[in-house]
Amino acid sequence: MTEETLGECLSRHGISRRSFLKFCTVTASLMALPPGAAAQMAEALARQRRPSVIWLSFQECTGCTESLTRSYAPSLESLIFDFISLDYHHTLSAAAGHQVEAALDKAIADNHGNYLVIVDGSIPLGAKGAYSTVAGVSNVESLKRVAEGAAAVIAVGTCAAYGGLPMAQPNPTGAVGVSELVKDKPVVNVPGCPPIPEVMTGVLAHFLTFGSLPELDVHGRPLAFFGDSIHNRCYRRPFYDQGKFAKRFDDAGARAGWCLYELGCKGPTTYNACATVKWNQGLTFPIQSGHGCIGCSEPNFWDKGSFYKPLSTAESIAGGGMIAATTVGVALGAGAAWISRKRQDDIVGGK
Amino acid sequence: MSGDVSDTTELQPLDLESSRVSVQIPAVRYDQQGEMSDDERIGIAMRNFVKDFGRVAAIYMESCVHCGACAEACHYYVQTGDPRYTPIWKLEPFKQAYKREASPLAPVYRLLNLKSKVTVKQLREWQELIYDSCTMCGRCTMVCPMSIDIATLVGLARHGMFQAGLVPHELWAVAERAKREGSPLGATAQVFEDRVDWMGDEHEVEMHMNEDQADYLVTMSSIEIQKYPESMAAIAKVMNAIDASWTFHSDGYEATNFGMLSGNAEWQKAMTVKIIETAIKVGAKAVILPECGHAYGALRWQGANQYGKPLPFRVMHVSEFLAELVTNGRLKLNQVDRSVTFHDPCQVSRRGGATQAPRVVLKALGVDLREMQDSAEYNWCCGGGGGVVTIHRADALRYKTFEIKMRQVNETGAQMLLSTCANCRQTFDDGQEHFHWDKTMHSLLELVADNIVETEQ
Amino acid sequence: MDLLTFARGPALQAAFTIFLIGTFWRLLGVLLLRRKLDHSEPRQPALAGAFKGQIAHLWPYQPFASRVMASYLLGYAFHIGLVVVIFFYLPHILFIQDLFGVSWPALPHAVVNAVGGITLMALVALLVKRLMNPVTRLISNFDDYFTWFVTVTPLVTGMLAVAQVGARYETLLALHLLSVALLLIWFPFGKLMHAFFFVAARATTGMIFERRGTHS
Repeated sequence: MTEETLGECLSRHGISRRSFLKFCTVTASLMALPPGAAAQMAEALARQRRPSVIWLSFQECTGCTESLTRSYAPSLESLIFDFISLDYHHTLSAAAGHQVEAALDKAIADNHGNYLVIVDGSIPLGAKGAYSTVAGVSNVESLKRVAEGAAAVIAVGTCAAYGGLPMAQPNPTGAVGVSELVKDKPVVNVPGCPPIPEVMTGVLAHFLTFGSLPELDVHGRPLAFFGDSIHNRCYRRPFYDQGKFAKRFDDAGARAGWCLYELGCKGPTTYNACATVKWNQGLTFPIQSGHGCIGCSEPNFWDKGSFYKPLSTAESIAGGGMIAATTVGVALGAGAAWISRKRQDDIVGGK
Repeated sequence: MSGDVSDTTELQPLDLESSRVSVQIPAVRYDQQGEMSDDERIGIAMRNFVKDFGRVAAIYMESCVHCGACAEACHYYVQTGDPRYTPIWKLEPFKQAYKREASPLAPVYRLLNLKSKVTVKQLREWQELIYDSCTMCGRCTMVCPMSIDIATLVGLARHGMFQAGLVPHELWAVAERAKREGSPLGATAQVFEDRVDWMGDEHEVEMHMNEDQADYLVTMSSIEIQKYPESMAAIAKVMNAIDASWTFHSDGYEATNFGMLSGNAEWQKAMTVKIIETAIKVGAKAVILPECGHAYGALRWQGANQYGKPLPFRVMHVSEFLAELVTNGRLKLNQVDRSVTFHDPCQVSRRGGATQAPRVVLKALGVDLREMQDSAEYNWCCGGGGGVVTIHRADALRYKTFEIKMRQVNETGAQMLLSTCANCRQTFDDGQEHFHWDKTMHSLLELVADNIVETEQ
Repeated sequence: MDLLTFARGPALQAAFTIFLIGTFWRLLGVLLLRRKLDHSEPRQPALAGAFKGQIAHLWPYQPFASRVMASYLLGYAFHIGLVVVIFFYLPHILFIQDLFGVSWPALPHAVVNAVGGITLMALVALLVKRLMNPVTRLISNFDDYFTWFVTVTPLVTGMLAVAQVGARYETLLALHLLSVALLLIWFPFGKLMHAFFFVAARATTGMIFERRGTHS
């Protein structure tokens, strides 16, 4: 850890205590922490020395990093990187080559047992990990080596959390998420394609404030952000309850902002904070922009059928299969009747 | 107890003196016929069950949802509250046999043993339900949401029971006698001829016996021949009054069919064909069936099917015949100033479709017809149909069901009680005696015969 | 593959396959059996009876009304209730539309929910009746109870999913779809087939008795 406290760092950046408190209040309320937690958080964070963080990028599109760094305006959320000492990050690192790898070695050695590991991207296991390597080391090897000395691992984005797009059928690279490989360290999943920046900040703030990871749901996600479905928190929910649905993306219902259930919205089965925290400084989120939720923060969301088929429909009821089944049924029925008739004839015939 | 009553038929004397005719109360009951092992017996039963599962029976077997409504229409259940008398339950072994041996899923049922094999023990237990406590009155079909014709299925189930030798003592005895002597109750051809002569003399009516040619072949039920011989005089009076060409015939006179009631399909056919061939022989345009319920079903609706082709003559219940005569004016009747209630024989009304005929005749008689509650096709059975009246061990149960009839009749307050079935009539006579009831069942035919306006002819 | 994906995909596909095989097997296995020609002289043409029979047995005749009306009303309550819930709840219409390309207006959720509640109560009442009434208790077998179970389960899981009670929505939805799959799989092998056979039975009896000049 660096010697400078977070408070000192913030004031060096000209962030007032007032706006810092405001940030803590917002974060605490997003995470549904009890009253008073904001002050506690502010105090704890200010005193906290910045932890060393090692950021590993595997099979990813950099969307997650983009999401976190390209916030609409330079805000406290974007200053997440000020909370931490980001000692290693492929994309953001100014240095390159051996220098960077040396930084990684140093971070591991200096903070063994205390650093945080953030991962974006899935890890390919196929072809002995050859599908993705950094500095000649396969992703799976890097992860194992780095995770070994970590205090905790945060899997950012659906790829790191659950394998994401690379793992979609037929999963050519044998991709898996972090929790498939890291079993002996606490792992927090912050899925989403990409994840919401505030969620990321919140998890870090929680860790720094309480020294522990937040409470998780069945899929390893912080309950504070993933505790309720998009559908239940959606501002269009009243239209669902009233039975008012957009039938097409360009019909009057769509223009009137009616529910997108019939257009395949996966809101009811998707758990994320999009509908409450929203995106782009709380400006909007996909449903508000007129498109149904595609369920990007759920495991295997690529393989759950069409984004545009309503949730209540069946997948892959093949017409050909049904015709075949009917044919088999007809054959069995005719056969059964024939056998029955024959048995009767045999009896009448005295056989 | 695996004795064979066929060896002891001589020990099964008829009791023609009691209020209803059957064999005398047996000292030892033989409710099982033939010497065979249980395996053979069940094998025969199953094969005969399977034989009868055509499309109609199969559809019925498949559509029951076990709602239990049929119980509410059955006089046995309604009077006792015993759920075993639920009509569809009476078919349970038959249904089990269907599922296991003949249904589309039978191979699966057998493979996984989902329906166990029917056992002889089970069939012995069910004998009482299939014979003693079902008159095949068909009232349950009316209440069934699926309209399953349970009566017909009971008739089919009796086939397997008969072949497996599992028929109640008395019913077997009378059926066997019918096969052997041509009549279940001792009305042999000779007895018939004698009694026709006797009635001719007694009532001074001209009888026609064994004419070579006749437009009408008139048949009788042995119950009438033995117990209500006035019926023979009555029909003769009607026939003579319209100046018809008619005849009784000793080759084919017995209209009852105990082959059908007991479940022997071959005997049923033989008994039916006897009448058909006689009718063809005398060139009859119509066979007039007597006041008998099951005789109507046996010839009117099953006759042509037993024969294998359409019949070249009409088959009419005597009430239909009378209705036609009064409608077309060939028969004029005196007005009878009495209040009357009419008991519908199930096989003629509900299951035969000749429901209106007796009412047409009653109207012509000018009586004050007071219908019972639940009359015509909704009528309650007298409790004696389906051969039940012959079975002594079923008496107590039969009397219980007869209480419904007494209540129904009493409620009308009618002076006179009429029906068009000799079997119903003897059941009423027996019930009357048992309960010391003040109502006596009369024959519609006899009432008509007594009120013909002679001058018209 | 998670439960919901399994339910929406392979489970329903397998269920529809078995449903079609079994239904045609059992229907044709019965309908292709022999029917003897009736040679008896009809009192009137029989055909009309096939239609009259369908209508006549929709409602108990007056002489039986007092004894069976309660059962009929309960039966109607849950049959009509199931029709409303199955065919007029929007997500179900979407399901059907997706499969067959036809759709029709849905009823409001609140109405469907209320009807679902009534349906459930009627089904429970009939189960109680089946267990308490000596007649139905005697004649009931595994089929009766299991059919009740597979009928009531989709209703209960569906209502729980709508209310989001007892488990997460996707789990409830998956259980609902799996229970529908179970219903479809059981359909051809139990008494649910009366949905087809009742027409055949009423037509058969109706024609027999029409031919005889009466009705069933």
